Amino acid sequence: MAEENITFTLPDLGEGLVEATVLEWQVAVGDTIGRNDPLVEVETTKSAVVIPSPKAGRVVELHAREEDVVPVGEPLVTFAVEVEESAPQAGIVGRVPEEEAKPKRRVRLKPPTD
Amino acid sequence: MTVNPVEDVTMRYADLPSQDPTDDVPVLLLHGFGTDFDMNWRATGWPRVLEEAGRRAIGPDLRGHGASDKPTDPQLYLPEHFVADILAMLDELDVRAVDAVGYSMGSRLAWELALTAPERVRSLVLGGFGPVNALAGLDTARPGEGDSPFDHVYRTVAGLPGNDAEALAACVRGQAARPFREEPRPEGVPLLVAAGAKDAVAEGAAAFAGRCGGSYVEIPGRDHANAVSSRVFKQAVADFLGARGSGSGG
Repeated sequence: MAEENITFTLPDLGEGLVEATVLEWQVAVGDTIGRNDPLVEVETTKSAVVIPSPKAGRVVELHAREEDVVPVGEPLVTFAVEVEESAPQAGIVGRVPEEEAKPKRRVRLKPPTD
Repeated sequence: MTVNPVEDVTMRYADLPSQDPTDDVPVLLLHGFGTDFDMNWRATGWPRVLEEAGRRAIGPDLRGHGASDKPTDPQLYLPEHFVADILAMLDELDVRAVDAVGYSMGSRLAWELALTAPERVRSLVLGGFGPVNALAGLDTARPGEGDSPFDHVYRTVAGLPGNDAEALAACVRGQAARPFREEPRPEGVPLLVAAGAKDAVAEGAAAFAGRCGGSYVEIPGRDHANAVSSRVFKQAVADFLGARGSGSGG
């Protein structure tokens, strides 16, 4: 197995937001983390969110310090991820499914009858 | 007695079971004014924290918020209506008791829930909440136009997608019609109060926790808007809930 460095940029947080402030890193350089593990807590003008890790791997570099303002699309973190040297280059076909289960039930609240 | 004088209100809620449950009492998450379950709790990483603790999480979009119905009559936003919604949800889910965790307005409602139905609240966590009237200094006819702490909160949430300004204003008026009172207290319910060190809305939270015989955790460097996602807050709640014991209140 070999390692390959992949840099993750600040994703589009929606609602026309163009930047976010780093509140607190949830990982440190050298940490090995799983996909969807908490990566970084950021704040926009709308709210604070925790961004989950898009990759499993080892954290090589954090590109922003806490309290830094990071524009959408700018580097956030670099991971070293394991790749199989002999494997053919795999392409991703289709969409990665959303993992979060949406709330699935509703309750109908009725006024008292008496 | 609680009645809904007009049409019924449909409330959406999330029910997130744990894959590896450690406790049969679910955690009820009650979001703050102007947000919803997804924004207040999911986007801030709470479901994962509770999942790791082996806890089932249940959380509504409170009436007037998120995907739930948004009536515009202030009378429908009195605290007792929110409490009735929550109790109906727990009945539907056949949940006898919860550990109730609120943020901001959700804390006030968790407190009301514990007063109304003490047998259904095993423990209480009040985040971003203090004993002062959160709506002090607010002109309820024109929320968001003044300079009180709550005016700032209102301005932050008023522009969020999916929010209905008329419903939010009605919610403000409904809440303002029943100012929070520290007494009576939900006796015998273990209490944790947590607030950002710079949270103007939660002023007096530490002393309030002391008067209630509860514990207090200050979230360093945080304000009302950004304390909810803090790791310090999550860890304090996980520790507090973990100390409640397994299955004792179900």
